[in-house]
Amino acid sequence: MAMHGYAGKILHLDMSAGKANEVPTEKYRRWGGGHGLGSALFWDFCKDKTIKDGRNPANVVCVCTSPLNGTIAPSAGGRCDVVGVGVGQHPQSWYTRSGFGGRFSTMLKYAGWDAIVITGKAAKATWVEIANDHVTFHDAASLWGKDTWAAQQAIWEQTGHARGKTAQAAWREAAKGLGDTLSTQPPAVLCIGPAGENQTAHGCLVHDAGNGAGQGGFGAVWGSKNLKAISVIGTGAISVADPQALLKARFVLKEKYVTSWDRPDFGQWSHLGGLPNPLTMTPPPTDERRPQACQSCINGCRTRASVGYGNESTCQETAWYISAASRVAKSPAQLGEVNMRAADVVQRYGLNSFVFQTGLHWLELLHEERVIGGGKVPSSLPWDKYGTLEFAEKLIHALSHREDIGKDLADGWVQAAEKWGRTEDLANGNMAFSYWGMPDHGYDPRAELDWGYGSILDSRDINEHCFNIIFTNVNAAFAFGKPMRLEAGELVELVARKLTPYIKGRTDVLDFGDANMYSEGVAQLVRWHRHYTRFYKQSALYCDLKWPDFYNTNTPNMEGATASEDAGEQVFWNAVTGDRMTFDQGMELGRRIWNLDNAIWTLQGRHRDMVHFAPYIYETPFTKGELYPFYMWPCRNARGAWEYTDVMGRTLDKAKFDEWKTIYYGLEGWDTKTGWPTRKTLAGMDMSVVADELAAARRLGADA
Amino acid sequence: MDDHAQPPFLAVSRRRFLAMAGSAAALLASGAEVLFADGRLVIPNAEGFLVVDMKKCQGCSTCMMACALAHAGKASYNLARIQIQQDPWANWPDDVFMATCRQCENAPCVEACPVEPIKANKPNPDFGNVRMIDPKLCIGCQNCLAACPFTPVRLQWNAESGISQKCDLCVDTPFLGAKGGPGGVQTCVRVCPVNAIAFTPTMPDQGVETSYYVNLRGPAWRRLGMTTK
Repeated sequence: MAMHGYAGKILHLDMSAGKANEVPTEKYRRWGGGHGLGSALFWDFCKDKTIKDGRNPANVVCVCTSPLNGTIAPSAGGRCDVVGVGVGQHPQSWYTRSGFGGRFSTMLKYAGWDAIVITGKAAKATWVEIANDHVTFHDAASLWGKDTWAAQQAIWEQTGHARGKTAQAAWREAAKGLGDTLSTQPPAVLCIGPAGENQTAHGCLVHDAGNGAGQGGFGAVWGSKNLKAISVIGTGAISVADPQALLKARFVLKEKYVTSWDRPDFGQWSHLGGLPNPLTMTPPPTDERRPQACQSCINGCRTRASVGYGNESTCQETAWYISAASRVAKSPAQLGEVNMRAADVVQRYGLNSFVFQTGLHWLELLHEERVIGGGKVPSSLPWDKYGTLEFAEKLIHALSHREDIGKDLADGWVQAAEKWGRTEDLANGNMAFSYWGMPDHGYDPRAELDWGYGSILDSRDINEHCFNIIFTNVNAAFAFGKPMRLEAGELVELVARKLTPYIKGRTDVLDFGDANMYSEGVAQLVRWHRHYTRFYKQSALYCDLKWPDFYNTNTPNMEGATASEDAGEQVFWNAVTGDRMTFDQGMELGRRIWNLDNAIWTLQGRHRDMVHFAPYIYETPFTKGELYPFYMWPCRNARGAWEYTDVMGRTLDKAKFDEWKTIYYGLEGWDTKTGWPTRKTLAGMDMSVVADELAAARRLGADA
Repeated sequence: MDDHAQPPFLAVSRRRFLAMAGSAAALLASGAEVLFADGRLVIPNAEGFLVVDMKKCQGCSTCMMACALAHAGKASYNLARIQIQQDPWANWPDDVFMATCRQCENAPCVEACPVEPIKANKPNPDFGNVRMIDPKLCIGCQNCLAACPFTPVRLQWNAESGISQKCDLCVDTPFLGAKGGPGGVQTCVRVCPVNAIAFTPTMPDQGVETSYYVNLRGPAWRRLGMTTK
């Protein structure tokens, strides 16, 4: 099989032995790359798939690239997927994933590696240096305790890439001792901070200033393996099957699907067709700044500014403290500065800020009720300074070092709620941790069904914005009086055209109204979504914030780039790899990967009876949105006509959701009694080996 | 400087010059480099230059990877004839540096090329006198790399093929699928998502290092909330 797009080999880091081994990629080629590659590697390397906490030494972590990494495939060149059993979930931690951007995956490919498999546990703190084929295990004693930025900068220095006054630097040895193997680039480092070192539930992996594999707790997993950092620099090249086709498609994407710089449409509706704009939750503090992007991105979503704070942070990390800070800040400028500096704090500690999305409200409530700071949960944090940067720093320090309330929160927030006797907060919604012990994303399961249903069927908050672009476009139009660029009927028609192969043309699947929310159509939509993201987004590694492009008002017929013949996802894949994959074949590969993941969850102990949301989702109506006081979505009215309808204000019906799962499992060809994969379904995808292992564990689903 | 102090290739070239002195004007007009009696190599001006806006670049390195693709058919940083450098912890505008070949008026890399009788690195009169390295003639001495006065050096050492390479404004791009060079397409210019690289037929001031750094930020940039100063 042709190996265009691949480096050709996988690096196995045996942390227990301090040895680096090489594994040919060819054996895993059928899994594509990224998450699919990672799941297949996990399946082979993890000898105990019953583990329920990622800090178990038997856990295996894979850091995986795609054939598109290191190429100009739009917004796919620098993404990376990390897989393994996570930390801090409830009632147990599942095999899960986390993605991050930047340039790490690009460098790894140029160094000659498609993935890194990390097994075992080092006897002492270790960091690993990869310079092309040279892999060195280093003592990390001098790095342990450093924050993520200081640790990366120390590694740059140790490898001969000390920072200067500006980014300008001479060609330098790629690594010390590599002679004439030169590079103008510094190494790409992925590392943990104190939160990971102390194995806290929300420790994450950080690369450069603001790229993080945040969700899943992989920082804690690395900490448990005594792995502080992996540094990589590569000076090689990746073979591309059809460079001309790749360049042509990239030009088409820019010139047809992205609004023009000369006559920009700032109100365009699409996923990838805008101009670069930072996704910060408060306005950037100055106009002296640039957009900043992952490798090959079509329009960067981050920024670097002259002011010296908040660089590279984006989205939720720039808002984790906003509700607190807004009560103290004396001006919008001060609010912005505190928010962005608070973002720097979580980046440096390597703590996933997402837990505060809903968790900060809960902590504040417990403090107001004297649960925290009272006799039950002593706390010496300066709560009187809640909302100041000082409090933010002390809170993050405590959580990252297992100090103060961090002692209890370090192993999971729902676990802490149980310990503190506050499980009723999961019923009344005061603790909005909706799925698997993880906080709601703001795209509430009671409103946005693809997000909610997908998350509970998966392993955590899926954080996939595929259909969520509808919410973004439509609700912003309602909230700010912007033009409604597509009416509901037009929009669902355009989206449904892209939903091949299962539901092409079926607009009903997009109806999240009360009458349709437990339907076969919504099950089909969720199925499409799970398969699309497993391959295109998490394995081919197209950026979540740019793809899929269902509709696009920059084009004459409003059709987006997804699945198109001139710039669809499969066009770039084929140009790089030389495959002749259709869009539908990519979906089928996504289905295969999704089935492998479900097999792993099944071995870990999952059963359909466990697949339920936190009680508040069923018991308390959704009445308060994170962004708007309404949640507009295209729904059919009583006459069957499409209109944007507010789907806020409802709960999910537990029994009906349970029935919906039966429909869903049936569509997937899984055992509807257990939710487990069946031999027939697995064999149909050439996965009988997986069925055999499930059968041996007595966890193979019954064929229908 | 006497003959003995010069590199051998220049001494030989001087004798060649004496035989060809009467044709100097014609040669210049045709685009060939000419060596005068004082040992000075006169190189006809290139008819195209890349200029960059370092305050605008988003650091996606798409230009680098596209450059390598168009020329070599592979994706790579090291094979790219434009090098984008970033420091994630530096502040704008010092966080990004864009290193492009400047198609110098008196190109030191051309002067340094020792290959005889035809230099491997020379202006190409068929393509607007773009300074190009002929891969079939390059002997891999790396003199051109040593001669480039800029940081980082604007030529690249292709370790795979053992020869030097440099920006040719996309004249020799077998994988571009379009005509390159002056009057044609420059891959990096066309692919840049933020239009932070431009082609100009006007030679920037050779006495001012920053003359290749231009302002390409227009009204749309301002509208996005970023300075156009």
